[in-house]
Amino acid sequence: MTSLRPNLKLMRLFEENDMEMKERIAILENYIMQRCLWQFHSRAWDRENQNNGILGITKTMLLGEEPDLSTPELKCYWVDAKCLVDGFKTKFPWVNEMNKEDIAVMMDGLKERIDYVTIHGSLNEELTVKLY
Amino acid sequence: MPYHTFKCSEMLPDREKHAVIKGPGEDITSALPLGNLNTVPGTITERGCAYCGAKHVIGTPMKDVIHMSHGPMGCTYDTWQTKRYISDNDNFQLKYTFATDMKEKHVVFGAEKMLKQNIHEAFDAFPEINRMTLYQTCASALIGDDMDAIAKQIMKERPGVDIFVCNAPGFGGTSQTGGHHKINIAWINNKVGTVEPEIKSKYTINYVGDYNIQGDCEIMTDYFNRMGIQVISMFTGNGSYDDLRAMHRADLNVLECARSAEYICNELRTRYGTPRLDIDGFGFDLLAESLMKVAMFFGDDCVEKAKAIIDEEVARWKPELDWYAKRLKGKKICLWPGGSKLWHWAHVIEEEMGVKVVSVYSKFGHQGDFEKGIARCSEGALAIDDPNELEALEAMEMLKPDCILTGMRPGEVAKKIRIPYLNIHAYHNGPYKGFEGWVRLARDLYNAIYSPVMNLAAIDISKDDFETGKGFMTRTMLSDPGVPREELHTENMYTGKMDIVTHLRGKEYDFPAPEPKADAAV
Repeated sequence: MTSLRPNLKLMRLFEENDMEMKERIAILENYIMQRCLWQFHSRAWDRENQNNGILGITKTMLLGEEPDLSTPELKCYWVDAKCLVDGFKTKFPWVNEMNKEDIAVMMDGLKERIDYVTIHGSLNEELTVKLY
Repeated sequence: MPYHTFKCSEMLPDREKHAVIKGPGEDITSALPLGNLNTVPGTITERGCAYCGAKHVIGTPMKDVIHMSHGPMGCTYDTWQTKRYISDNDNFQLKYTFATDMKEKHVVFGAEKMLKQNIHEAFDAFPEINRMTLYQTCASALIGDDMDAIAKQIMKERPGVDIFVCNAPGFGGTSQTGGHHKINIAWINNKVGTVEPEIKSKYTINYVGDYNIQGDCEIMTDYFNRMGIQVISMFTGNGSYDDLRAMHRADLNVLECARSAEYICNELRTRYGTPRLDIDGFGFDLLAESLMKVAMFFGDDCVEKAKAIIDEEVARWKPELDWYAKRLKGKKICLWPGGSKLWHWAHVIEEEMGVKVVSVYSKFGHQGDFEKGIARCSEGALAIDDPNELEALEAMEMLKPDCILTGMRPGEVAKKIRIPYLNIHAYHNGPYKGFEGWVRLARDLYNAIYSPVMNLAAIDISKDDFETGKGFMTRTMLSDPGVPREELHTENMYTGKMDIVTHLRGKEYDFPAPEPKADAAV
């Protein structure tokens, strides 16, 4: 699976003035928030696993690499990731035109946004409750 | 934070963070109400209790079971028959409800002896049923009757009988959501893993968080079976007690209502390694994607079958959905369900039926549920947690919706101010799941909004100032002026049958042969 560690050099470029990239990330974020349910598991640690698993595989697939499907859990992540990849490519044709470097930047930025909206910036007070 | 204060709740400062309006550019990090908190004294909540959540919502849809409440008669009576969770065994669980009918003398002297007698009588009266769920109530919890001990005694005395004890008294949580949690955990702790299922297919799932309202669950299981997937258990709509004891053997948990049933999926994931896949069973687009997701988990042969189902169903039903969408376009609705439809419908009903969701609410939802609903609904929507009757009335006056989609209690209130309501708890003419079901929802929504009675009811017949020589406006006269002339007759309204569920029962399916599993022995 592709590393989920943010590409700091690319992220700095993104932070400076790449409005087009920011807009693209916002479009994909909106797409996920309106269509998907996987990012809303009930605890922060669970959301981290979901976001890492599904967005990680999505990035891998968009970069043209083979995802690891060796366990039922990974396969379940892949199912949601596959739908995302298909949706991104169909609804937003510009995804198909992007080079790998830009895709990596975009997916890192998207992961950061989804983590923020669902975990770090979330107002949900139950996210840190220890028991279900 | 864009909190909304209702005028009627100004004297209740505790309510100030329970309603928000999603403003322009706002998302769930800036617009989210509180949730799953104790109801503020002084409001008239519409919430049920934890016992209701355990018994009425989750336990009772199980079909081959005597559902007995250990408490006063009212507890079981008031949780009986208000939801149409039908079953394929002649609706045994809807026809009968059982209670030990506790009185003051039992509270003083204990009710275990009486409980035991009641259990024997129930099994004697229905010898074909040998499974029972036994629900604690506030009364039996407070006096400390040991229901587990009595259940064990009975199971020893009556071989072949199995009893599940659910200790979820009414006070055990903020609302019915406390009962959802308790029954989920009790079931996995006490019953899952105690039966080995007959595996008929290479692909197996548990279908979780659907309660078979007017056949929803049966529509979905038909799709899965046609895809070659065996549904080992349904939690709990049309569910069999013993099938639900075998949940540990499924390859995948397919989850609909996360609010009522995510707990058991999460525990099955932790204890048995079964993944959890959340899906949407409503709406053409989301349902199609959901069927594809389940199919993709299992493989290409499953995917081909899913595609064929989707193509066939969309071709058959989309034109009829479009007939309604043209006439519903721009109508404003309040989406006020109990739980999961808050998020399942918030976006897709706008996309596919053209209506505008101006408000969402939940009586017992947690903040996570509002996150899903608010993320999916449009700008300007008012989200309310645990609303009371006055707040709902004020919201309707402010938003002027064309229809309220809710349950019976708030729905009847809406009718009093001549706003039609659609029952999305027990349904009007469901099932609403599946492709055809979604058209049935559109049909019911159309019939509610354009019902001639809404105009007729506005006439004050105590005065003599209305026209008597003029006919009333029919549905078509009300709905069709907004449709372009050239599009008036391009599709048909709903042409399906009244009963779309019964014919599915007893249907034969072809399953791919199961592969032998190394750990199949008990």
